[in-house]
Amino acid sequence: MLAATYGIFALGLQLNIGTTGITNFGQAGFMAIGAYAMAILVVREGWSWWWAMPVAIVCAMAAAVLVGLPSLRLRADYFAITTLAFAEIVRYAANNWRSLTNGNQGLLGYNADWFKLSFRFGNWLNDHGIHVTSFLFPLMLVSWALLLVLWLLVAALVRTPWGRVLRAIREDEDAARALGKNTLAYKLQSLALSAALAAIAGFVLAMNLTLLVPDQFDPVFTIFGVVIVILGGLGSYVGVLVASFLLMTLLEGTRYIGLPLASDKIAALRFIIVGLVLILLMAFRPQGLFGKRKEMLLGE
Amino acid sequence: MSDPPILEVEDVAKRFGGVRAVDGASFSVARGSITALIGPNGAGKSSLFNVVTGFERPDGGAVRYDGRSIYRLPPYAIARRGMVRTFQLTKTLSVMTVLDNMLLAAPRHPGERLGGSLVFAAAARRREREAREHALSLLATFALAEMANEYAGTLSGGQRKLLELARALMLEPRLVLLDEPLAGVNPTLGRRLLEHIEQLRADDGTTFLFVEHDMEVVMNHSDRVIVMAAGRVIADGEPQAVRRDEAVIEAYLGAHA
Amino acid sequence: MTAPEAVLPGGRFAVVRASPLAVVGGAMVAAALVLGAAKGWQSLAQATINGLVSGSYFALGAAGLTLVYGVLKLVNFAHGEFLTFGAYMALLGHSTLSLPLPVAIVFGVALTAVLGVGLELAMWRPMRRRGAGVLQLLLMALGLAFVLRNSIQIVAGTDVRQLGANVTASVTFGGLHIGRTELWVLGVALVVLLALALLLRETRLGKQIRALSDNPELAETTGIDTEKIVLVTWILAGALAGLAGIVYGASVGVVTPNLGFEIVLSLFAAVIVGGIGNAYGALAGGILIGLVQEWATLVAPASIKVAVGFGAMILVLILRPQGLLGRVRSADR
Repeated sequence: MLAATYGIFALGLQLNIGTTGITNFGQAGFMAIGAYAMAILVVREGWSWWWAMPVAIVCAMAAAVLVGLPSLRLRADYFAITTLAFAEIVRYAANNWRSLTNGNQGLLGYNADWFKLSFRFGNWLNDHGIHVTSFLFPLMLVSWALLLVLWLLVAALVRTPWGRVLRAIREDEDAARALGKNTLAYKLQSLALSAALAAIAGFVLAMNLTLLVPDQFDPVFTIFGVVIVILGGLGSYVGVLVASFLLMTLLEGTRYIGLPLASDKIAALRFIIVGLVLILLMAFRPQGLFGKRKEMLLGE
Repeated sequence: MSDPPILEVEDVAKRFGGVRAVDGASFSVARGSITALIGPNGAGKSSLFNVVTGFERPDGGAVRYDGRSIYRLPPYAIARRGMVRTFQLTKTLSVMTVLDNMLLAAPRHPGERLGGSLVFAAAARRREREAREHALSLLATFALAEMANEYAGTLSGGQRKLLELARALMLEPRLVLLDEPLAGVNPTLGRRLLEHIEQLRADDGTTFLFVEHDMEVVMNHSDRVIVMAAGRVIADGEPQAVRRDEAVIEAYLGAHA
Repeated sequence: MTAPEAVLPGGRFAVVRASPLAVVGGAMVAAALVLGAAKGWQSLAQATINGLVSGSYFALGAAGLTLVYGVLKLVNFAHGEFLTFGAYMALLGHSTLSLPLPVAIVFGVALTAVLGVGLELAMWRPMRRRGAGVLQLLLMALGLAFVLRNSIQIVAGTDVRQLGANVTASVTFGGLHIGRTELWVLGVALVVLLALALLLRETRLGKQIRALSDNPELAETTGIDTEKIVLVTWILAGALAGLAGIVYGASVGVVTPNLGFEIVLSLFAAVIVGGIGNAYGALAGGILIGLVQEWATLVAPASIKVAVGFGAMILVLILRPQGLLGRVRSADR
């Protein structure tokens, strides 16, 4: 289920890093904005959950434009640092702006509507012979369905002429500019779309957690997302699907290995594995599982 | 020429750190002309191109395209106004096919807007078809049609130059700036390229400004020659006159010293 | 460009340049005056002292980071972990091996330098030989950061340790406090940073390092042994980072596996503000970020001071991406 969250999250990252070539390391920040906007609107302002979500998505997209406007003209590594800093600022703000977000005591109560829906869905499934084991099951189904739909959408988008311009920007932005393309606009669109995806991932996460705490939106989340993108192959959307699943299985799997280590050490071990995966991937198979080797070679 | 010049460069200066790449260059380019820009290495020709096409901001002077200043215009806007350029180190997109490179250049494509392919689906498809036809015919002119579905990265250096030119022409430009278009291109294809340029000039009135080192080409195929050295224009006139100009000879000899 | 531009009629362009350091220096002084008037000179002075202390370890950490970038064009995301490593090694020396504190410090610094060199030989050099791209190396550094940080955690545990220095003893003068440890920190940092500046300026090695970071192609043609300089750079960067980690650990009093990660973004901020690749810039940037962060505590809750530091970095990136002392490289656009 986390896989679906990461999958949606990573779709956005793939759009940014793999297709457009902008290294967005602030994805967790957009996710936080989306999740918190939704929760705040529902809990503090009494909005209906159904209205809060699209508005929250718009918030995340607006944030993307705000962040992107000044910083997209920077080089890749500077942009990465800037977006990372942005995500951290969001996290700090969430932690400290108690009146709005309740700090690290968390926000809750935003999922009442979802609960009802989920309950009804669960019953419907039961009626149709599918045995629902946990109350999270409907969420899992919905999130995977969401992932698939979004995946299809994004993959289709990338194949359009619009996507073609993005791919051109990734390889050589100046060439695209010389051909009359307003590359800044395209990059902003890519970033905004990705932020929207992050916001949706944030919704799924929020529903999963039932308590919204700022420290959930750690930069580590973004790093995991990046690993998924790389593992699956830069530019490959199928790869994102497969890799999210793989990575989550790997990570969750280590929970169940009966290692004679204290739990916090096991957690550290998981991170080490992720780090090693990244290093080894970069060293020996930078195109990931589904990336095209040819493209890698030609592009460098 | 009673028409106003299509391009006017007035006292342009560009510095990089302590180096004065362009140091007060002035000239104008008449509509429908084929002008050559020559000069020894380091004379500032590429920097000048960069300034004129908006890739660099000048430190002084003015540039007017079609009578209007291009100050602060970003390169893509300048390209859309009809001034396109090619690059000395070609910028063909290696990870895309030759055809995709060409299709990328098609201007006014509704499919290139974010929702375009969805909202304007029919128009987008139509434009894509038109662009495809135009692209294939241009590719045929430059003998690249068979490579249409190959990755541009597999082309030879000379073929890439041709692709870059063909791609630039997709924009139906009024002024084309070519940075060493013939470098690495075999003579037959080179001749074909020049013929195409002259045809475009004759049929559509397209103006060409190119940087070249091949003197034979410069002398035989250009109406006017502008010579740059050390960031300045030191000669400007008909090919034969420029060839005999003392300052020009000195600049070249000096550069080889 | 931060330089104001004058547009004369007829579409001509003219540019007026101002010295960035002067502009920022002026802005800082102005800010200081405003803050002092608003919040009291005592608080300002105290915050300034705190800012100088944190600025000094920022500068130490940033110097190593920027040296590596200058010479290798590598954004070493794992640099924070070097700091953690240094602190832990010193801890190891002092607590486990019962070395006297100064020796333990040298021990920690030296081992971190070894780590830097080891990684260069095991990872970075082979990848460079294979022509790895910038993105690849960046991601490898990220992965490395994970591996290092969590390995330390596995080995040393997440318990909070102390570096054995006396954190409460402080010196007071004129109503201002400064911890004894912090005084030491300032002193050590000052000495080391001066030594670094001298090394870069006067020694042949230093000049070669600077040449390599300013203009690699040119430097190679003049017969500089690139590989050797790279190794030396890693030694320096590792040592500086280790020292920075130790100093930071001593200053805040606790050592945890996240030590480096906590301040790595501030280090990046310092590097960027000062001008990436420029060691003097890192020094200036470190002090600046330290001051900005501490001054921010006068007007905002202390917990967001780090975010303010980031804000300063973002501001600099927008107005002048090459930093205060950096030069414009065409790739910076």
